[in-house]
Amino acid sequence: MTQPNLDGLVPAYVREFEPYIPSKPDPELMRLYGCKRLFRLNNNENPLGPPPGAQEVIRRFPPPQGALYPSGDSYYLREAIGDLHGVDPDQILVGNGANEVIAFVIKAFCEQGDNIVTADKTFAVYEWVAVFSGIEARIIPLKDEGFDDAAMLAAIDDRTKILFVCNPNNPTGSYWTRERLKAFLDAVGGRRIVVVDEAYFEFVEKDDYPNGLALLGDYPNLVVFRTFSKMYGLAALRIGYLVGSPEVVDMIRRTCVVYSVNRVAQDAALAALRDDTGHIQRTRDLVRRSRAFLVGELTKMGLPVIAGEGNYLVVKIPISDTLAYRKLMREGVMIRPMTGFRYPNHIRITLAQQEAMEAFAAALKKILA
Amino acid sequence: MGESEKSTLRLRLGARTPFLTVVTQFVETTASLFGLARPEALKLSLATEEIFLYLCNAVCPGKELDITCLDGLYDTRVIFRFPARELNLRGLNVASALKLGEGNVSDPAEEGLGDLDQMGLMIASRSVDHLHLTAEKGDGVQLVVSKEKAYPRIAGVFASPEAPQRVNIEVPDSERVKRFALLTGHLCTGRDLPPFFETPGKVADMVSGGEYQCLTAMDQDRDVVGGVLFSERSERIVQFFGPYCFHSGEKTATGEALLDALLAAIARRKALGLLSLSGLPAFLEPRFERLGSLFQRRLDRQPIERPLFFRCLHEDPGGEVWSPEGLKAWLTGEYDRLVLARQIRHIQDMGERRSGPSLFAAEISRHRAEATLRPLWPGADWAANLAGHVRYLREEGLINLLFEVDLGVPWHAELVPVLMDRGFKPTLILPFAGRADIVVFQHHDATES
Repeated sequence: MTQPNLDGLVPAYVREFEPYIPSKPDPELMRLYGCKRLFRLNNNENPLGPPPGAQEVIRRFPPPQGALYPSGDSYYLREAIGDLHGVDPDQILVGNGANEVIAFVIKAFCEQGDNIVTADKTFAVYEWVAVFSGIEARIIPLKDEGFDDAAMLAAIDDRTKILFVCNPNNPTGSYWTRERLKAFLDAVGGRRIVVVDEAYFEFVEKDDYPNGLALLGDYPNLVVFRTFSKMYGLAALRIGYLVGSPEVVDMIRRTCVVYSVNRVAQDAALAALRDDTGHIQRTRDLVRRSRAFLVGELTKMGLPVIAGEGNYLVVKIPISDTLAYRKLMREGVMIRPMTGFRYPNHIRITLAQQEAMEAFAAALKKILA
Repeated sequence: MGESEKSTLRLRLGARTPFLTVVTQFVETTASLFGLARPEALKLSLATEEIFLYLCNAVCPGKELDITCLDGLYDTRVIFRFPARELNLRGLNVASALKLGEGNVSDPAEEGLGDLDQMGLMIASRSVDHLHLTAEKGDGVQLVVSKEKAYPRIAGVFASPEAPQRVNIEVPDSERVKRFALLTGHLCTGRDLPPFFETPGKVADMVSGGEYQCLTAMDQDRDVVGGVLFSERSERIVQFFGPYCFHSGEKTATGEALLDALLAAIARRKALGLLSLSGLPAFLEPRFERLGSLFQRRLDRQPIERPLFFRCLHEDPGGEVWSPEGLKAWLTGEYDRLVLARQIRHIQDMGERRSGPSLFAAEISRHRAEATLRPLWPGADWAANLAGHVRYLREEGLINLLFEVDLGVPWHAELVPVLMDRGFKPTLILPFAGRADIVVFQHHDATES
């Protein structure tokens, strides 16, 4: 059988891209590392799970409905999001997780020769999607653990189409205030798209933290990302969305794959938005307590901590972060080593329930002893 | 024409002896075009001639052959792709040439040669610098031979640059790559340096050709005060040399900045590990995992300990490895020490048929009096072949013998009892360095403790 000539068929920027290989499922990892229980502190998931209403939707999904296509554009969910934020549903696009909407935006605005600008130590998917789409990713080092606005502006040229800002930043938890974000948008001046990724928006309690959606009226080149994976505990269902001005979203919609969001995800997200049981407050309380506990423990151990906003913190350790991952796995605790985020010798820990925090602290002491 | 097309020329033809001159002219002309001097180009052409004739006569007569010449800038590679169900390339074993220079080929049976057709392959293996063989999908086989350019050694006396006020890490231009190599070669002589640092032009070509990458530390005057060189040893392992800091004064900040820049450069690649086979500055050792040590013997002197260092770049995905019973306890202990999650699958010789002669690659590092053997092709004769290699390499003055076994390849693991019977001891694991992990065996004489 003749093998396809992949050198000729595949664009160089795809051939040369290094695919991301996700970790194995938990049961496989537990078997490999010989642990009986596993605290997942690696993906910033919500240990409380989805709000009760969303759990009920998942539980009661009628199996015969599995045969039917979902709403192709998440019709009812967009209406609910629009009501919540005071925007027209046509300004909203729902995707199979925020990762998919990142791809929508890059496909809509970038062609070969263009570039995007983002940070070096931030969520990797902006950079990945750009690179495997043949688009240059201009990677700006963080400054004082935060996005460096001046350096990002200096990196702009005629071919810059999108600037990605993760606010608050994953993994450092730093954020731009409303004034700083507005100043940045003013400086960009509408000539490029500015994406503000607010995946951890609901966790931030600081008064000067901006709601990007409230700035859409003044900045029609602004696109805001939100997700149901973090605060709303629906990571397994993969659902997130973007909001922008009608004209910008109309362009992005052209690259949007309809029917990519499943019915259970749409219904559960709708129920999560309508939660009236205090899910967000319960989660914030848990994260606040966990942060205080863990910062105290880590400080007692003499380890430098980067603890900003969001349901995570980062700690610098005196051994290789990837070795720490393996040693902690043996103790039944899964954290995120940060070399892949360009933070070697740092690990990121999801702020979760007290039992998990205590297990992590004890395991870390043990492996560093 | 793109850059990659410019550096590759390809010939497709039938494996028929009347085409011999076409093939040899093609390789000789291309090698010259790629910058090999005439003596090297002729040697590569000679190796090609012998291999082509052997393929025509004994391996795939009349079948379609693909011969590609690749410009690596510092070398020229000839890649043969051909179909073969069974393969007898015994003559390519470096040890097969044992008696050739001594005129004892008249008694080939003594050396197990059995076939004078193999003599051409012996000539070929002696004419090139590197040889690699891989089985491709189906019955396809790829044989790569290469010849390196000759580069001048640069003599001189060089003073260490002054301690920098600050350093900036950069991807250097070709002139600064040469400067980095030159100063490393002259000022870091206490380190276990690979020989290419003696020829800065070669290092510049290694980097320009894209096989290696370089980062340099620049001081406030944009002078090179340190650097690190790295390349992909395999799809999953990046190997690096350095960091080398040759300025005076405290070197920790420069070394750490180089390492951080190296990690940032490869952090989002699919490589799973970073490997140092040539030592680290002591202040960087805590940032790595010590795999173990090789003990490099020297004539009439105490052996030198060569520690090898590694760090994973991402979460360990776990995996399975093949092992015979005799290696299992050692592997279990090492995987436990290294905290690597591995499922050890048992492999056992149950008397199944093996046919044909085996083939080992031999990488020679004369500066260390060392040879590293790697199995390329299985065979029924590997005990005799291994013994022949040990004898030959010892006679060549190579007193440090290593053998690498890829635990992801079942037939490699079958070699382990043979190795252990012949004085090779498992010494350390190179995680992810092959299809799975590689175990390095080091040869010990019966007289050694």
